[in-house]
Amino acid sequence: MLRRCIVAEWMKLRRSHVWMILMILPVISVMVGTANFYMNQGVLKKEWYSLWSQVGLFYGEFFLPILIAILSAYVCRLEHLNKNWNMIMTSPVSAAGIFLAKWIVVGVMLAFVQIFFFILYFLGGKLAGLTSSLPEELTGWFFRGWIAALTISTVQLALSMRIRSFALPVGIGLCSVFLDLGMYVANLGMFFPHSLLAIGMGVLSQTGLTSGENVLFIIMNLLYSVAVSTGAIHGMTKSDAVA
Amino acid sequence: MMKAVSLELYKLRHKRLFLMVILFLTVEIIWTFMAVSVSISRNSDYARWEFVIAILSSMNGLFFPILAAICVSRICDMEHKGNTWKLLLTVSVRHSMLYVAKYISASIIMLGVCIMQGIAIIAFGMVNEFGQPVPFMLLIRFLAGTVLTNMTIIGLQQWVAMAVKNQAFAVSLGMAGGFIGLAADLLPGAVRRFFVWSYYTGLSPVTQNYANEKVQLIVEDVNALLPAMVGLIVAGIAIFLAGNIHVSRQEI
Repeated sequence: MLRRCIVAEWMKLRRSHVWMILMILPVISVMVGTANFYMNQGVLKKEWYSLWSQVGLFYGEFFLPILIAILSAYVCRLEHLNKNWNMIMTSPVSAAGIFLAKWIVVGVMLAFVQIFFFILYFLGGKLAGLTSSLPEELTGWFFRGWIAALTISTVQLALSMRIRSFALPVGIGLCSVFLDLGMYVANLGMFFPHSLLAIGMGVLSQTGLTSGENVLFIIMNLLYSVAVSTGAIHGMTKSDAVA
Repeated sequence: MMKAVSLELYKLRHKRLFLMVILFLTVEIIWTFMAVSVSISRNSDYARWEFVIAILSSMNGLFFPILAAICVSRICDMEHKGNTWKLLLTVSVRHSMLYVAKYISASIIMLGVCIMQGIAIIAFGMVNEFGQPVPFMLLIRFLAGTVLTNMTIIGLQQWVAMAVKNQAFAVSLGMAGGFIGLAADLLPGAVRRFFVWSYYTGLSPVTQNYANEKVQLIVEDVNALLPAMVGLIVAGIAIFLAGNIHVSRQEI
C-alpha cells in the first residue's frame, strides 16, 4: 500500500519542474561561496574547511530549511486544491500511508539536493585550485545533514498538511531558522529540529561530533521524527479534512 | 481604485497575514539588535545610529525579499486557490485594476513594516542612550531606500505570483532574492546593480567599509545615491507595467 502511495506521489510531481527549485539554491550557494573564498584566500587559509564555511553556512543555516519548507508545501499543494483532501482521505489507503509517502518523496528529493550540493562543493574547490584531500568529516556532514533535513521535513509536512496557504508554512519555517540560531548559541541546539541541521552539517563549527554527541544527535532526530509524524497522522485520522 | 484596494485589505482580515508579518519583523529586529548590542558591549564606538542603520540594511537584504514574496504570494494565491479570478472579473473590474489594487495593498503592508522598523531603531537608540540626537534625515533616507526597493521587488514577485499559479516558484524566487540580497555586497558593483535585491544595501545612507580589521561607517551623500535611485524607479515601473500587461492579457 505504501509503495502505491509513493508511486502516486511521484506521478503528481511529473512535469512539475520541481527540479528547477531543487537545483537553483545549491548552485547559487556554491557560486557565491566559492567566489568569496577565491577572493579572500589570504584570510581563509584552511582550504576545504574554509570553503565549507563559505558555501555551507548560508546553504545549511538558511536556505536548506526554507527549501525543505517549500518542498513540503509543494507535495501538499495539490491536495489543497479542488477539495482533493476529501478525495484522498476517502481513498482505500491509510492516513499513515499518505503521510509516509509524502515524507519519503520529500526525503528522496532532499537526498538529491544534498548529493548535488556536495558535487558542486567538490567542483568549486577544484576550480578554486584546492589540491589537498577532502575533509574526513564530509561524509558525516552529508548524512547527518540529510537525517536532520528529514526531521525538519516531518515538522514542515505536518504544518503544510494543516495550513492551506503555500507561503505561510514557508514563513513559519523561516522564523524557525532564527529561533534555531538562538538555540544554537544558547547551547540548546540538540533540542530544536532546525538547530540539528546546523549541528549535523557543521555549518557554524567544523569540528566533528564525538561518538556521544552522534548518538544524542540520532536519538533526538528519531524522537522528533516519530513524535511529529505520529501527531500528524493522529490528526489526520481524528480531525475532519478541510478542503 | 480606493474601493478595490480596501476590498483587497478586507479580504486579508482573517488570514493572519499581519500577525505573521509582525512576528517576522520582530524576529529580524531582535536578531539585529542583539548583534548590535554584542558589538557595542565589545566596542562602545559602535553605539551610533549609523551602525544600527547599516546592520539593519544588510539584514533587510536577507529578510525583506522573502517577506515580500510571502506577502504577495498570499495576496495572489487566495484567488488561485478559491478560483475567484473569473468571479472578480465579472463584477466589472478590469484585470489591470485588480493588479494595481493587489500591488498597492502589498506595498501598504510592506510600508507598515518599514515604519515599524524605523520606530524600533529610534526606541533602540533611546534605550541604549546614543550620544547623538535622533538623525531623522538619515532615517528618512534609509526608509526611502528600503520602500523603493520593496516596491520594485513586490512588482517582480506579483508578476510571478499572478502569472504562475504554482506559488512554489514565486516563493523560491523570493528565497533566491534573499540570498542575493545577503551576498550582494560581495559582488562587483557592475554586476550588483542588475539585481534588484541588492538595493537594500545599495540605497542605504550608511555603508560599511572593512579596513585594517575595523569597520568604518561611511555616510553616503544623497547625490551619490540619486542615479541608483532613479535607475531603480525606472526598473520598478518597467517591471510593474510589463507584469500588468502580461498578466492582464493572459487567459484565466
